[in-house]
Amino acid sequence: MIKLLEHLPVLVILFPLCATLLCPLISHFKPSFGKKVVMTGLFLSVVCAVTQLWQVVSTGEALHYYLGGWKPPFGIEFVIDGLNGIIVVLVAVISWITSLFSSPFEKLEREEGNFRSAGYYSMLSFLALGLLGMASTGDAFNLYVFMEITAISGYGLIAIGEEKGPIAAFRYLLTGTIGASMYLLGVGFLYAATGTLNMADLAAAMPELVDSPLIILSVGCLIVGFGIKMALFPLHGWQPAAHSYAHPAADPMIAGIMIKVPAYAMLRFFFCIFSESSAVMEVFFDAVGVMAVFGVLFGSLKALRYTTYNKILAYSSIGQVGYIAMGFAIGNFYGLIGAVLHIVSHAFMKSGLFYTSGALKYKFGIHETTELGQVYRDMPMTGMTMTVCALSMIGLPPFAGFFSKWYLAIGAIENGQYGFVVVLILSSLLSAIYFFRVMEKLFMDKKTASERTDTVQPKGKLELPWQLIVPMIVVVCAVILLGLFNSYIVGDVLEPTIREVVLA
Amino acid sequence: MTDLIEKLEYFLADRGIYMLALILFAIGVYGMIVCSNYMKKIMCMNMMQVAIIFFFLTFGQKNGATIPVALGDIFSADAYINPVPHALMLTAIVVSLGITGVGLALLMRIKDIYGTIEEKEITGKGGKSK
Repeated sequence: MIKLLEHLPVLVILFPLCATLLCPLISHFKPSFGKKVVMTGLFLSVVCAVTQLWQVVSTGEALHYYLGGWKPPFGIEFVIDGLNGIIVVLVAVISWITSLFSSPFEKLEREEGNFRSAGYYSMLSFLALGLLGMASTGDAFNLYVFMEITAISGYGLIAIGEEKGPIAAFRYLLTGTIGASMYLLGVGFLYAATGTLNMADLAAAMPELVDSPLIILSVGCLIVGFGIKMALFPLHGWQPAAHSYAHPAADPMIAGIMIKVPAYAMLRFFFCIFSESSAVMEVFFDAVGVMAVFGVLFGSLKALRYTTYNKILAYSSIGQVGYIAMGFAIGNFYGLIGAVLHIVSHAFMKSGLFYTSGALKYKFGIHETTELGQVYRDMPMTGMTMTVCALSMIGLPPFAGFFSKWYLAIGAIENGQYGFVVVLILSSLLSAIYFFRVMEKLFMDKKTASERTDTVQPKGKLELPWQLIVPMIVVVCAVILLGLFNSYIVGDVLEPTIREVVLA
Repeated sequence: MTDLIEKLEYFLADRGIYMLALILFAIGVYGMIVCSNYMKKIMCMNMMQVAIIFFFLTFGQKNGATIPVALGDIFSADAYINPVPHALMLTAIVVSLGITGVGLALLMRIKDIYGTIEEKEITGKGGKSK
């Protein structure tokens, strides 16, 4: 047992990997069994992730895992501290509930005869594997490999979605490859300058090299690379189509966490590796700040223009990623707390909203907000999830979304960057407009579709199959608890880590 | 004048190869933006990836050094080429192969649905229904 505990960081990744490989094989012999393998694998991964976070928080020390026993800088290292421990738990939980969420869709589409469940579940757990790896690795090149694993499975899940899926996936493939190549180029410059790929080693070598042209080039390449992957404003072109046309069952994961983990990786690079402050870095941070401000305003304004539910959510994601980048641009303690909190809370909120979108498609085939009239009477749970997540996105106090914005605002005021505060308030008002418009349709509108056909009603008392209800309950609880117990999360987990690791 | 040419020669001998890699990269990105045929876009994407592989291999090179296999009579590390960039690029080649494969598979789907792989025709048509 003790032996097993030492291997936790790699076990988190090993379980989804085994599930990915076993799922097609087992499905070949027993079709209904493959998805259970994936669910079990992802569940075990959740257990390991929670245990390792508990271990890190209780001992107060980072876990280092050397793959194959090769000590860094020669081998690949996994480092789990309080910061990425939280991200790993977040990714594992959302992946697991998404695999639950998928099974009614799978049943539905298998009846229509156009669904290969083995491939779908393999890709889902492969996506989880890539994201978990990106979050836990301590090696710059290893991050590239996991990034591409994430991307490839993401392309697949987008392509099997709605009719425009293949086009959206193809455009994402082209853009995403440019992003990954830019990242690789940046890592190449770093390697040429320092001769190492281990993140801790890179950080140690950095102070002497701060102003060398290679490092400046590398920072520029990394900003473009991560910017494309996290859909930061001028580089967001692929995102709206990809998020709205992805497979409705996998969409919560793609929209919720696939753009958050690159944001975390950007934080890791900018505050753990390029930690030395210099005039050039200031310029880069200012550039990120400008991109963030325009992204926040652009995303919110663009979301106002659409009535398609998924499009509204996708454009609001561009704005929300802007908040995270704004936290980086603020760059002091509170700004970073805000950014990390927003990564976590927005992952739950956005995946929650996409769960509701998936449920609406499942039950009534609703795509447009204009068809939403009085839907909450038929689907009370969905209506509640939508309301809680939307209020949290706007930033009303008891929910998680308020606190991340609050910390961002405190950080901006502390730095004297009042422009950011104005943008924060303005964009919150804008998001209030577009979410209240959705809710107005939900609660006030006349029941436009009494002829709304309930094609796939479940036989029981529940509005939906339980596999669709459980993820929503988890997300709602997470959004509320993250809000209520915010001070504990910030004080006990985030604050020590950010003070030690990031701002050391 | 001769001074300038000497400087240029020095620069090309010193950094010229990196400039070539950069030009290749730029051609790739330019092609991906400009070409409207999806197949050509994939080819340009490959070109861009090759440029990066080229860049890594170039800076891994060392004058007068030998292959990174321990030979009995050479003990200085300076006499060997650093194998890490090559190992990294082996991985990157595999990744780019995978991406190309996925891209081609998607192209086949697009061809099935829209009957064409020209971007202008696809956006003009908005897709014919299945």
